[in-house]
Amino acid sequence: MIEMLYREALNRAIDECMAADPNVVMLGEDVGLYGGSYRVSEGLVSKYGEKRLIDTPIAELSIVGNAVGMAIGGLRPIAEIMTANFSLLAFDQIINHMSKYRYMSAGKITLPMVVRFPQGVSKQLAAQHSESYEQMLSAVPGMHVFAAGDPHYAYHALKKAILMDDPVVFIEHELLYNKKGEVDFDAEVDPFKARIVKEGNDVTIVSYLKMVDDVMAAVPEIEERTGKKCEVIDLQSLNPIDTGTLKTSIEKTGRLVVVEEDHKMGGYGAQIVSWAAESLFYALDAAPLRIAGENVPIPYNRQLELASIPTPDKIAAKIIQWGADNGL
Amino acid sequence: MAYEIVMPQLSDSMEEGKLISWKVKPGDQVKVGDVIAEVESDKAIMEVQSFKEGTVKELRVQEGQSVPVGTVIAVIEPTGSITSEESGVRSEERAKPAASNEQLGMRNEEPKEEPQKTTQPSTPKSSNDKEAQRAVQTTNDSHSILDQILGFNETPPSIQNPGEATGVASPKARALAAQYGLDIEALQEEGKLPTPAHEADVKRYYYRRYFTAKALKLLHEYGLSPELFPVGKKHSEKEILAYIAEHEIPKPEPLSPMRKAIIATVTQAQQKPVYHIYDAIDATLLKAHESERYTLTVWLLKLFAEAMMRHEDFRKTLSGDAMQLWPNASIALAMADGEALYMPVFRDLNRKSVAQIADELAAMKEKVKTGRVTPEDLKGSTFGISNLGMTGIERFDAMINAQDCGIAAVGSETGGKISVTLTLDHRIVNGLQGAQFMQTLKELAKEKTLFKT
Repeated sequence: MIEMLYREALNRAIDECMAADPNVVMLGEDVGLYGGSYRVSEGLVSKYGEKRLIDTPIAELSIVGNAVGMAIGGLRPIAEIMTANFSLLAFDQIINHMSKYRYMSAGKITLPMVVRFPQGVSKQLAAQHSESYEQMLSAVPGMHVFAAGDPHYAYHALKKAILMDDPVVFIEHELLYNKKGEVDFDAEVDPFKARIVKEGNDVTIVSYLKMVDDVMAAVPEIEERTGKKCEVIDLQSLNPIDTGTLKTSIEKTGRLVVVEEDHKMGGYGAQIVSWAAESLFYALDAAPLRIAGENVPIPYNRQLELASIPTPDKIAAKIIQWGADNGL
Repeated sequence: MAYEIVMPQLSDSMEEGKLISWKVKPGDQVKVGDVIAEVESDKAIMEVQSFKEGTVKELRVQEGQSVPVGTVIAVIEPTGSITSEESGVRSEERAKPAASNEQLGMRNEEPKEEPQKTTQPSTPKSSNDKEAQRAVQTTNDSHSILDQILGFNETPPSIQNPGEATGVASPKARALAAQYGLDIEALQEEGKLPTPAHEADVKRYYYRRYFTAKALKLLHEYGLSPELFPVGKKHSEKEILAYIAEHEIPKPEPLSPMRKAIIATVTQAQQKPVYHIYDAIDATLLKAHESERYTLTVWLLKLFAEAMMRHEDFRKTLSGDAMQLWPNASIALAMADGEALYMPVFRDLNRKSVAQIADELAAMKEKVKTGRVTPEDLKGSTFGISNLGMTGIERFDAMINAQDCGIAAVGSETGGKISVTLTLDHRIVNGLQGAQFMQTLKELAKEKTLFKT
């Protein structure tokens, strides 16, 4: 057990995989000499050389395209996209190629590759650098989507993602890179399992990435005002969903809240609510609540930016109000 | 300004305290230094005093209740404060949380039984329903207690617009009602369930309808779910008791702060690398000088204190990676009164006369008896004595208290000798030092000069 930063946990996962397997390579903009925009690959180029930490041109489609080719050829590439919005340029490679070759080759081709990028609202990076795409990527069959909410999962899930033969989209959050947390290197972590961050009997609050921290910041007020106990779940694996953990929790509490940073319209949380309504209708003691961002491009102005996404205050107020309206 | 009295922190390890008893009631006048309450920490019972003169406004904690350190337990209105202004501010403050509850739609009214009857006087009711009605009425006073027991909100939601907009209930409430054989719509029409109805509403109605108040209290005490009992019939206390006996269900008893402290101390003692030295000391002089005032324990304290002054290792404690050598002989003595077990410390015994020791012992006995041992009384020893001689036990060994280097277990007199078993912490005192200490004890027991009063 050691305390480290989220980005250090990611760095260590890549470092260990590169040390163990010469087929592991990393490519992206400034991942080599510069050590990555968020210092995730810091120090690795001096250890493993420029042939394994490949600085690419500013051309996202070719970054993922090259990675797909490397994976077909037997390497285990990690493709870094600087930020989620830029991954749109690579969507053809991700969706039409990475996710489909194994299926279309009848399993003859495997793509042991990872596409990593940070997403979400940081601080005044404006509409073109602040978006979240988990909803679009989780809708694509043929690949897994992991979302790392803390250093422990970041370390273990990235290692598993690199080592597994299926393609993985690995989502990080810009505000989490400097988050500190305990990492137990020896723990056996199933990357497909959700994590119960806090146990409680009365309300299940499901979230992922940075919103987990915001939910946890809101919980004391919610519990004090309602006198009820919240169970907070970090989904971690967005596709597939760990429905077992969700089911156990919702059957216990009878109440579901989903908190996501992304725009509410068509957001990922709708999938969780839809699944719960279909599968657990008779376990629900109230209509589920979705707390999500506003349906606007993320504004540059700091006040408006904060107004456009859930914050701990808003999360607490909405859950308390919803509880009062629904007999909590 | 109203003066707030908080749960005091009586020791470093104390996180919560139990209010044993109130010594005042609202409206009482108190002076500076008056005892307001008795509070039990993890180690002892202490008195809480008022530091201001005034009138007791409010007692916020019930006797027997445990609250975290720092919680306001009582409010005192100091004499001379401007009462009208003061109370105005205070009532406004008090009204605040209620107002915000209102805003949030949390409804605080009691369920209205009376209007029900008048609005539906002609509705024929089955005898069952009448019985239910009566059950609800008779248990009305105990509702809040039952709600606490069952983990519901403290006040049941009000039933709004009875007879209107019925049939709205959560899926879970519907599933439960089906399981319990309840008709949600009918109950809503009769005003017995709110609209919309949730799981807690259905459970609350069902439990009160089919379980006696005593039965529910019993279920709570044993941590049993009412769901264990078949639906559709009334369950009495007797039936629950039969179930408990048949299924051999133990009654959980929460640990008292005292018991928790004892468990922590003996568990810590168990982890120490200890060894024992078994021997006996001559009883002749000890017995000859025993009197009502100068009990055997007084002489034992004197005897051991003298030996400790001759063997400095018995005045040492281990602190982190250093030994601490204490200048005086201070002994923790095991004193019990029922479940309560204390190791109060008699300090600086080498500097005290036998008469002083006798007085201190008598005073401490009284404190133990009345549960008024303070955390301060339990500090500062380097060695302990446990004397079971009066019970006729010939020989036993004891567990080392807190940071002490050892403890002597003193048995009863047999054949002119009193057995002494030393349990010693080998990190502080080695075998040879232990043996030498025992030798000194044996010599001192025969030394007439020691037994002067």
